[in-house]
Amino acid sequence: MLNVIDYMPGDTLLHKLNPVVKVALAASIIAAMFLTNSYAMLVGLLAFTLLMGAYAGVAGRLVVLMKLLVPLALILFVLQVLFMRAGTPVFGFATDEGLITGSKACLRLLGVATPLLLMLMVTPLGDLANACVEKLHIPYRYAFTFTTALRFVPIFSQEMTAIMEAQTARGVEYDTKNPFKRMRLMLPLCVPLLLSSVGKTDATALAAEQRGFYLRTRESAYDRHPFVARDYAAFALCVALIMLGVAF
Amino acid sequence: MNSIIEVKDVTFTYSGAQRHALERVSLAVAEGEFVGVIGPSGAGKSTLAGVMSGAVPHHFTGELYGACLVDGKDTCEVTLTDVSRLVGSVLQDTDAQFVASNVRDELLFGLENFGVTRDEIPARMQQALETVGIEDLCDREIATLSGGQKQKVAIAAILALRPRVLVLDEPTAALDPASSTLVFETLREVNRSAGITVVVIEQKVALLSEYCSRVVVFEQGKLIFDDTPRKVFSHGERLREIGVDSPRVARVSNSLAAAGLCEPGGPALSVDEVAALVARIVGEGVRGAVVEGACAVPVVPSSPCDSSIDGDSVVAAASSARTGEPVARFEGVGYSYPGGGASVRALDFEVFPGEIVGIVGQNGAGKTTFTKLLNGLLKPAEGNVVVAGLNTREVPTSRIARHVSTLFQNPDRQICKDTVLDEVAFGLLLQGVSLDEASARAKATCERFGLPLDEAPFSLSRGQRQMVALASVVVGEPQIIVLDEPTSGLDYRECMTVMETVRDMAAAGSAVVMVCHDMEVVSDFADRLVVMANGEILGRGTCADVFANDGLMQSAFVEPPQAIALAKRLAAEVSPAFAGLSEVSDIVAVSKELACRA
Repeated sequence: MLNVIDYMPGDTLLHKLNPVVKVALAASIIAAMFLTNSYAMLVGLLAFTLLMGAYAGVAGRLVVLMKLLVPLALILFVLQVLFMRAGTPVFGFATDEGLITGSKACLRLLGVATPLLLMLMVTPLGDLANACVEKLHIPYRYAFTFTTALRFVPIFSQEMTAIMEAQTARGVEYDTKNPFKRMRLMLPLCVPLLLSSVGKTDATALAAEQRGFYLRTRESAYDRHPFVARDYAAFALCVALIMLGVAF
Repeated sequence: MNSIIEVKDVTFTYSGAQRHALERVSLAVAEGEFVGVIGPSGAGKSTLAGVMSGAVPHHFTGELYGACLVDGKDTCEVTLTDVSRLVGSVLQDTDAQFVASNVRDELLFGLENFGVTRDEIPARMQQALETVGIEDLCDREIATLSGGQKQKVAIAAILALRPRVLVLDEPTAALDPASSTLVFETLREVNRSAGITVVVIEQKVALLSEYCSRVVVFEQGKLIFDDTPRKVFSHGERLREIGVDSPRVARVSNSLAAAGLCEPGGPALSVDEVAALVARIVGEGVRGAVVEGACAVPVVPSSPCDSSIDGDSVVAAASSARTGEPVARFEGVGYSYPGGGASVRALDFEVFPGEIVGIVGQNGAGKTTFTKLLNGLLKPAEGNVVVAGLNTREVPTSRIARHVSTLFQNPDRQICKDTVLDEVAFGLLLQGVSLDEASARAKATCERFGLPLDEAPFSLSRGQRQMVALASVVVGEPQIIVLDEPTSGLDYRECMTVMETVRDMAAAGSAVVMVCHDMEVVSDFADRLVVMANGEILGRGTCADVFANDGLMQSAFVEPPQAIALAKRLAAEVSPAFAGLSEVSDIVAVSKELACRA
């Protein structure tokens, strides 16, 4: 399930953009999301993100992720409505202002998460790290930490599945329908998972050092990520998005 | 001699450890050698690899005495990075070794870091990929590769850096026999064509004896043998005492030598050699004086069908056990994973109390899926799996666990308690056994296995953790035992302890189904075999029948064990009396007898 954020190969314009520009694009959509206060703009930005996803051929996966985010958004909505006491009551304890801020919070949550996920789906992690080091002058060790963490997510989730299977096979009731019981049963698994992850990370550190990790500089990367015309055009789009956010 | 690596009187103790991991080890590796390192677990093999690659003392801290010189430079006085320019190391766990998510980036990483010029990089990458034979994988995501492919990528990523020495820590531990052989072929290629010195830690003795020019044996941190494979494996008895197996062909020729039928000293290391040896012994007869002693064994009738050798009696015992009701049954079972992957089709299978069934086949043939269908972790999409009278589709997995116990390849996924006693008792408590009784039974089982009751399982060695996991299986007295690669990562002695326990359980009435890559273990312990390929059952039968079926072996990509290959060869070339034999002792007995008559 977690590998839905893996890189999806393709050769659309979105795939070809410089990774740094893609980060900028995602960041400006998010910025515009927070700056704007109109429904039209919020919905528009979300639709824009989804359209880009459809163009890049990852709409299916974005929808899967949206399905995961919607329950979270609904919880946020309910909380906002419960605690927002200003405004005039509409029905029960819900006020008009509560409903408005709640629904906007919902849209913002979706609108912040999707551009970032979209960006990860259309950018190979290695390119993202190298481009950030090259253009943004981020120290390589931070870029490496970030990419390694993301790379470890599916590996650890496989490990977790394997541990749960092993425990189920000996009779622990992970197949119970009761989610609270399941949570309680999962706690003891933290120990084996933690031990194996510490071991793995240590081995990775050693392997990286044995392949010259400490010699790496900003100039080391073989692939270069120069800005070309389409990147500048995308930058212009970023500025436009933020301005729209401020205006509406 | 120009040694590329010189380990001088090295003693190393990990910080916090009581015992020396290595003790006064001296070893010089000359440029161009292909050195195999073997020893029981905890013998210091991985530590030796660490010393050679500079990980000791730069990454693993502890007390180091003596020195390790790599190309004349003391590893203590240069940085780990400098050592790495000369010594490339491939870790046991390839997932941990990878630094990138696709193959190209993985190869680029080291090249970029070590400052290889831009013009040179493409050629270096191409060459490394070609040497290992994985040009077609260049653009793949690493997560989508098989275990064997990952191992090759790991090797290619190091080769691209053109080290002068390659140090590998059990590169074939997770691979099937065919992929293991391919990895060693690759190493041989690298060693011969590029002149790279290879030091490889390996448990598979048949590979070591075939590919290495030199074998060093470790026991409890000490180097005890350092010689050609032929000389090392002539010490079969001593090796067995410390927990190191010998190739089966070497065992045959060592036994023949012990019986005085041939010259002692250098054992045969390949099927060809030992076949020629037996042909000579049988053909020319043996000088009278020697034959006197050798022929003291009872004379076995030469016709194989009425011979009373062990192999046949085992089969007879197994078929008599089949009179009862099957304890598990697959009826036209099919399953496919939602995301694709090793799906299985039309599986029909029965297992009876008291028998040991081996499932063999290549990586990805569907063997693990088979075991998961049996223990209920997967529910069949088609057909039915009935285990101890329960249809797995209707009963939750945790209930099926009362009848089926699984021993997994990696014990660490099973272990979750703070003490060994709690761990072993845990499964019983889940089954609803009272606390007092569970503790008493767990205690008895732990004592039988010689396990420390109050220690934390994670502080034990890998082999002992597997024993803890095995104890938790045994204590429940399950009707069915499922073993998924029970012996990988174990040394020979631990492997035998595990398998003998399993055999005792079968004798007590449990049905055992095991997936195992080690064909020697399979042929020694399984009563009958199921051969799988591409998610289907290709064939089944007794070990001897299945392994003798060349067509079946080839279509399933399984290599028969050495002893069976040898018996077959001898049956064809020397005497039909060898037909159908599977044990070293039988081959030796028949050879002796034929020699006496000649």
